[in-house]
Amino acid sequence: MKILRITLLALTALSFAATAGCGFRDIDKRFFVIAMGIDPADQGAKGYKITLRLAVPSPKVEPGAGNNQVVTMEATSIAEAVRLLKAHVDKEFDFGHCKLFAVGEKLARRDYTDILRWLTRRRDVQSIAYVAIGQPDAASILKVEPKSERYPGNTLFLMFGKDGTQSSYLVPVYLFDFIRRYREHGIDPVLPLIRADKDGYAITRLGVLNKSKLMETLTPGETETYSQIRNQDAKSTVAAVKNGNTMVINVDHIATHFKIANENGEYVLRLWLNVSGIFEEAPLGVYEEDWNQLEALFNQQIASEIKKLFKKMQQAAVDPFGFGLRYRATHPGTEQTWKDWQNLYPDLKFDIKVRVEIEGTGLVK
Amino acid sequence: MLNRIGTLFAESRDLTLDRLQNDSLIIEVAYISTLCDESKVSDFILVPFTKQEHPFEDLVKRNPSFKRLDDPAKWGDTLLHGFVLLQLNGMVYKLDAARIIRNENPQTMVETVIMGPQISLSEDLIDSINIVRSRYPSEELAVEERTVGTISKTRMLLVYDKHRVDATVLGLIRAKLERISDPFYTATGELVRSLGDRYRLFPSMMVTERPDRVCSAIEDGKVIVLLQGSMFAIILPSTFFDFLHAVDDDYDSFWMTRAMITLRYFAVVLTITLPALYVAIMSYNPELFRVQLTFSIAGSRSAVPYPSFVEVFIMLFMIESLIEASVRLPKYIGSTATTVGGLILGQAAQQAGLVSSIMIIVTSVVAISNFVIPVNNMSTAIRFLKYPLIVPAIFFGISGVTFGVFCYLVYLADLRSFGKPYFRIFGRRQSQSSDVGQVGR
Repeated sequence: MKILRITLLALTALSFAATAGCGFRDIDKRFFVIAMGIDPADQGAKGYKITLRLAVPSPKVEPGAGNNQVVTMEATSIAEAVRLLKAHVDKEFDFGHCKLFAVGEKLARRDYTDILRWLTRRRDVQSIAYVAIGQPDAASILKVEPKSERYPGNTLFLMFGKDGTQSSYLVPVYLFDFIRRYREHGIDPVLPLIRADKDGYAITRLGVLNKSKLMETLTPGETETYSQIRNQDAKSTVAAVKNGNTMVINVDHIATHFKIANENGEYVLRLWLNVSGIFEEAPLGVYEEDWNQLEALFNQQIASEIKKLFKKMQQAAVDPFGFGLRYRATHPGTEQTWKDWQNLYPDLKFDIKVRVEIEGTGLVK
Repeated sequence: MLNRIGTLFAESRDLTLDRLQNDSLIIEVAYISTLCDESKVSDFILVPFTKQEHPFEDLVKRNPSFKRLDDPAKWGDTLLHGFVLLQLNGMVYKLDAARIIRNENPQTMVETVIMGPQISLSEDLIDSINIVRSRYPSEELAVEERTVGTISKTRMLLVYDKHRVDATVLGLIRAKLERISDPFYTATGELVRSLGDRYRLFPSMMVTERPDRVCSAIEDGKVIVLLQGSMFAIILPSTFFDFLHAVDDDYDSFWMTRAMITLRYFAVVLTITLPALYVAIMSYNPELFRVQLTFSIAGSRSAVPYPSFVEVFIMLFMIESLIEASVRLPKYIGSTATTVGGLILGQAAQQAGLVSSIMIIVTSVVAISNFVIPVNNMSTAIRFLKYPLIVPAIFFGISGVTFGVFCYLVYLADLRSFGKPYFRIFGRRQSQSSDVGQVGR
């Protein structure tokens, strides 16, 4: 009995050898990849140009102490490129802290689906990494070395994460979300576009993709609208123009919901957007004006902006808001439902109701 | 009688054998002078015998301090326990005149509290029982006397509340006490081992010097074992929860003591797993940390020439030696050892590139959280547990640590303390309502 017990225990312990990850390798014998750029190979050759930004750790943490090493390799597949790159460095690559996968714009415009084969399978690629499109290509993004970095890659982590800046023009997209949107019928992927900007990055636009390539890029304004509708982003503003004066409301609270209704055989998408907030920028004397009229002005102008954005998406035949998913969720789960939606989306009507509530002028009277 | 005793003992100067004679009687007195209070001997025997105010024969018969001892085989043992033997008219009497050297009214040293009884149990059984009885004045308190040790014949008391004690537990303890056959018992720890704790990873009997802990245990229906010559009592059965419960928890502010209990469990988990987790995270799963920490650890570790587990063993060796040294050293030098070891060595080891700065933190957290455990024998047991866990961490990383912790939990759940489930965390129930069917191993 005792022997049996010990044998069982030993067998269980041995079976763990199979489940353990990569071999024993100390943290200082690893090269942490903090960002990876994927571009098409140069001069029209088949394959990819992979750029890795490696962190050179230092015990000192101070501004400007973040050191990087950027390596580049071309190969027919991503896995091969990474394997070849290993022969150029002295430590093992670890993608466990790779927070950004930048896809070159050229590749995104051509066909991005092949890179997912590697991204979904590689063991140490984290699902919570961010994905973005690099303009004009991914390599140039990785070569930027911001001066203020305390440790390698910090600028990117802060920009994308919720710790640092939170811009309504930056919609971070996680890898798992990207893959989900790629696979799911009825919702299409979006990716932020990164431009190198001297010693830093500029991320203000959003690229809208269909299931295989980049279809449309949004302007910063449209990106903010997207973020307000899709993510109910309260760190944003709404604006309206009255007599040539721009008035801006800082959003305190935002809520949207939509519904796909069938009216006399015609499908209509109804969207409600409720915004409340206080003025951030307005001409003098706004307190004395009729706030109902101001609100009506906001309502009308915002609604037309949203409608314009929806029409743009409709014309590009992409659905980043997930209207199709909602349709599928509220209709029978058959193949036919999906086909129906594909037929009716190009003719879908939009009915947008915005209700802005002005809470204050931003001044104490 | 005297001749017989004379032949029984080896040549010892302190064996006093006297034959006395007054007008009418001849008595024989035998005692070991170093074990006895000689004033007692003269008050009870010598003075009344020589003064002859009353007939000495009557005196011996009337005074209950004199007890008949007919079996000559017991003479030796009786003398060795500090009794005086007296032969009168062919009959042998014994008189307790033991003089025991002990510490007077000792203060609690091992398990200290801020607001609570400061006096601890005594090294003498009589005083200990005095302390316990005065705190537990109940007619239900039973005190059973036995001896343990084939040579030492150490006196031992079983103390329990007759009404509240669990009969099966008491039966098990008695049966185990019958069975033990070691020659010598000088400390309660030895008795704990003999009672079945020898190879267990966790202590199933609590060793304490606190009379308040003893009394609340009696009130819970537990059995107390007191040993002559040791100021520590054994409380059995005990559960895992009891070991993490300080007596202060019942005296101080409710919410803070609850927080402290939570903190203790957290500390136990930390002190067991942290060295193993360090190895696992450093060498297998560095993605577990936030990226800032990863880079700063990687930076501080880059000077370290050895793999992480060697580093862990170096530091653990240092801290364990330090703890051991401060226990062994005389109190006056003790603080020097900690200063030298803790501050200078730790700092120097890191600057010399022998260990990373994070490892210094890990080591101190491991040591400090180990000291949080209120009962000393549990603290020592927990101190060992971190070592076996490092082995699966070296070979299998995080999954190995998880497996090791799982093994510990299964082992804990399997343990019984005198028939009671050991890992019943919220286990301060009355013994009457405790569960049935679990039989001790």
